[in-house]
Amino acid sequence: MISRRKIAAAAAGLLLGSLALAGCSGDSGSGDGGEVTGTLNFYTDKAAWKPDFESLNEVSGDAVDITLKTTGYSDANQYDAFIKQSFRTDKSPGLFTWHTGDSLKQLVDEGLVAETTDIWSKAVDEGWVSEDLRDSYTFDGKQYCVPMNIAYWLMFYNKAAFADNGIEVPTTWDELNTAAETLKDAGVTPYYQTSVLFTFQWFQHLVASTDPDLYEGLTTGEVKYTDPEIVDIMNVWLEEQQNGWFSDAGSTTDPAVGLKQGDYAMINFGTFFAGNLEGAGMTSDDYGMFAIPAVSDDLDATPVAVESGPLCTAENSKQRDLGLAYAEWWMSPDAQTAWNDAHGDVAFNPKAKVSDPALAEIGEQIAGDDYMLYDRFFEAMPTEIVTTAIEQFGAFNANPGDPMPFLEKIQATADKYWAEQE
Amino acid sequence: MSKFIRAAVLVILGIVWLLPAYLLVVNAMKDPLTFTSKESWIPTDFHLFENFAQAFELSGLGNSILSTLIYSIVSPTIAVLVGAAAGFAIVALRLKRGFLWFVVIFGGTVFPLQMVLLPLFDAYSRTGLFDTRVGMVIIYTVISIPFSAFVMRNFFTGVAHNVFEAAVLDGATTWRIFVRLYLPMASSALVAIFILQATFVWNDLLLGLTLSQSDDIRPIITTLSGMQSTYGGAQMSVVLAAAVLVSLPTVVLFLCTQRFFAKGLALGQY
Amino acid sequence: MAHQKTPYQWSARGFVAPGVILVAILLYLPLLWTVFLSFTKYNGLGSPDWIGLDNYVEMFTDGDFVGSAMNTVLWVIGTLIIPVGIGLAIALLTWNLGGGIWLRLPFLIPYALSGIGVGVVWSFILSSGGALDQALAAFGVTDPPRWLLDAPLNTIVMIIASSWQGVGVNALLFTIGLQAIPKEPLEAARIDGAGGIRLFTSILWPMLRPLTAVVVGLSIVASLKTFDIVWGMTKGGPGTVSETLALTMYKETFVNSDYGLGSAIAVFLTVITLLASVLYLRQQLSPKKEM
Repeated sequence: MISRRKIAAAAAGLLLGSLALAGCSGDSGSGDGGEVTGTLNFYTDKAAWKPDFESLNEVSGDAVDITLKTTGYSDANQYDAFIKQSFRTDKSPGLFTWHTGDSLKQLVDEGLVAETTDIWSKAVDEGWVSEDLRDSYTFDGKQYCVPMNIAYWLMFYNKAAFADNGIEVPTTWDELNTAAETLKDAGVTPYYQTSVLFTFQWFQHLVASTDPDLYEGLTTGEVKYTDPEIVDIMNVWLEEQQNGWFSDAGSTTDPAVGLKQGDYAMINFGTFFAGNLEGAGMTSDDYGMFAIPAVSDDLDATPVAVESGPLCTAENSKQRDLGLAYAEWWMSPDAQTAWNDAHGDVAFNPKAKVSDPALAEIGEQIAGDDYMLYDRFFEAMPTEIVTTAIEQFGAFNANPGDPMPFLEKIQATADKYWAEQE
Repeated sequence: MSKFIRAAVLVILGIVWLLPAYLLVVNAMKDPLTFTSKESWIPTDFHLFENFAQAFELSGLGNSILSTLIYSIVSPTIAVLVGAAAGFAIVALRLKRGFLWFVVIFGGTVFPLQMVLLPLFDAYSRTGLFDTRVGMVIIYTVISIPFSAFVMRNFFTGVAHNVFEAAVLDGATTWRIFVRLYLPMASSALVAIFILQATFVWNDLLLGLTLSQSDDIRPIITTLSGMQSTYGGAQMSVVLAAAVLVSLPTVVLFLCTQRFFAKGLALGQY
Repeated sequence: MAHQKTPYQWSARGFVAPGVILVAILLYLPLLWTVFLSFTKYNGLGSPDWIGLDNYVEMFTDGDFVGSAMNTVLWVIGTLIIPVGIGLAIALLTWNLGGGIWLRLPFLIPYALSGIGVGVVWSFILSSGGALDQALAAFGVTDPPRWLLDAPLNTIVMIIASSWQGVGVNALLFTIGLQAIPKEPLEAARIDGAGGIRLFTSILWPMLRPLTAVVVGLSIVASLKTFDIVWGMTKGGPGTVSETLALTMYKETFVNSDYGLGSAIAVFLTVITLLASVLYLRQQLSPKKEM
């Protein structure tokens, strides 16, 4: 017979027990006021990179006596909302990853991120970063945040597929098309495509390498998606679709696995993809990369899309100075070399040592005069337009046909957006 | 329908139903370096334990297990009791405007969870509940209450009111009637609610992601989902192995509690 | 004594209070904030700007919104047919069957599996050239439909994928309902010679009503809020053809940072869900004669 007293005692015990356990809440890092050493609370939406950031702590601890306590978020959209909300709380982050373009401008306009102009000036003077990159981080003549990483968007290819069909790495648009035809005739699908998320990369390359000003015009709203030049470009894409040059958009197979097992010979992706390929079991004997040749022969330099993620510090954060100190160290060659060891991919700092020889080579190549950089579609265009565009390109990939309806939908969103900016 | 036919139909249907789970396990066993998507049905290698180990290491699962266990046990328990109490009040005690109060509690489950997150984060950080176990237990309890109240309220409508009246005549207080009579009668429903909600809490991603940040406060799935990313997360078979690993406790829970649903319980319909 | 007709009110209030208070504070207050936001323009930074009904007007005049709403209706209907229907069937088939609990287990296991695994596995299955296509090829079907690319096929297929987990839960709830049915009327009916179908329609179905109300009520709510599985598999695409209202809400709020519009959609969704479920429940749970 369980008496009431025993029930009450059990309940109290349970409550006390859980409160005791609950008493252990997370620790909150140091640097509550102007300190420049200690543990820095770092937030990122690239949760998969957390081990890489943490492995850096040994180096940063020795160099500047700062270590990161990393909290990773796996859902990029939730992360953005969370960070924006956190500016109002005492959790305003000392260091966090963000996105260039429209998103960063929003934060800058509200005065929410700390200025880093001095850090950039020093970095450019020392040759730690290119001036081109600085532009993406500049608003009204001042810089904000520092670059966490850069990735170039290139073509990865399956070396076996090329070798078996006697194809050399193409250096002109015609050579690329010939390669695609050859592959198609041999029964190999030339290009990868999908219908969700990464549907913009072919469009960005076609437009920017036909005429960089055209691409620029899209970012400011001067060029409409329904303009004849854009329609013409879409028709080029449509023809390629009708030639069967693209893989099945309905496949949800992991892209790295797809390249490995020969679902397609080439895939247009960011240089970070090399890590995915290695993880899937491919080595540099199996895959290679090349910058995609420009559509137009008249350009001085081949445009290459670059994606750069910033590391930012919140202006009102309790760890503001700590965050800025880390950011300053981050741009140095030592930090970048250590980061490259931990993480791979190309480095924005030309003086950093890139561990992967293939990436190092292509990084140097693109930093040269034959190539020019432009912002990736995702960051270059305003967010609402990107959302609609990605959906519409995905729909186009799933059911290739007359481009006008797709373009009109994107333009409708663009019209609405630019009207609101008046 | 003869028992044999029924059993046969169930067995066939059951096998079909488990096919996706088979795919999950088979592909979780594959070596990531040789993984292909072309032979999804065929077990090509037995790399399961290595994948488990990699998943465990990559996601730092060890830290979050204790917390997730606390959340999945404490919160549903409280919610089950609170929900049963509400059902008891509305049905047995005949609370005035009972249906209205029922709708008020039920309404809590109608609202999309994503919209609750940000105001909740704001409130939690102001009140110091952010990134605390107490805070997580509270929110998990609250989201489990509407389901619990709903099921218990409906379950109790099947209990004849004479039961209550007879107990009153025997001189029992409402508390005693609730604890000593109604709760035991409803044990199958209570266990069902508990395992369903415990599984829900165990598998939660959104709330854990928004309302906590430290590794030892965060529930398991938040650390796990970080593994699956286009920007270089773990390979597919490792992600699947992690999913299998994380699902083991809930599967075991379901297996062990089945005896509660074996026999019906007399509900005192005199 | 008239005032004794509903005694125990104070006690009842005590029992119901914890539930009401907890839900009110943690779930209703955010709801109120969302309602407020639905009348504003807000991007998460700075302060919300009051714009009155503009968000609602925008919402109702957007062509995609209608499509999204239609998909949501499809989800509600599909979820009522498949997981509820099959769940009931399983419960009936296992009822009073030796070893019934074990025969029911395969349907419960899917619910116990982590969402990440489930999402990945169904992507495997439905991908072009994925497990389902491979299985069909073994049976000689070489040109299967494009499961995830064509509407409304992709919505239907996703409903099936979501039913995979839902059937077990419903079967469990129906089982509890069946077991709660008192023995006497059942025995009496059997002695009278009532067989399968008649037993079902005259005794089982009516007495299952309380739990049926739970299952259907929850299905309505869950299907109207459908998000995870669609976001995971198609993100509402290609284009917006498989988008549901919850997806549109999420997209506007978290992707486009248009909190005002997203909140308006959330409010609309909540109102519809509340109306649908309350109307249904009111009808089901109206005071009946005592048994």
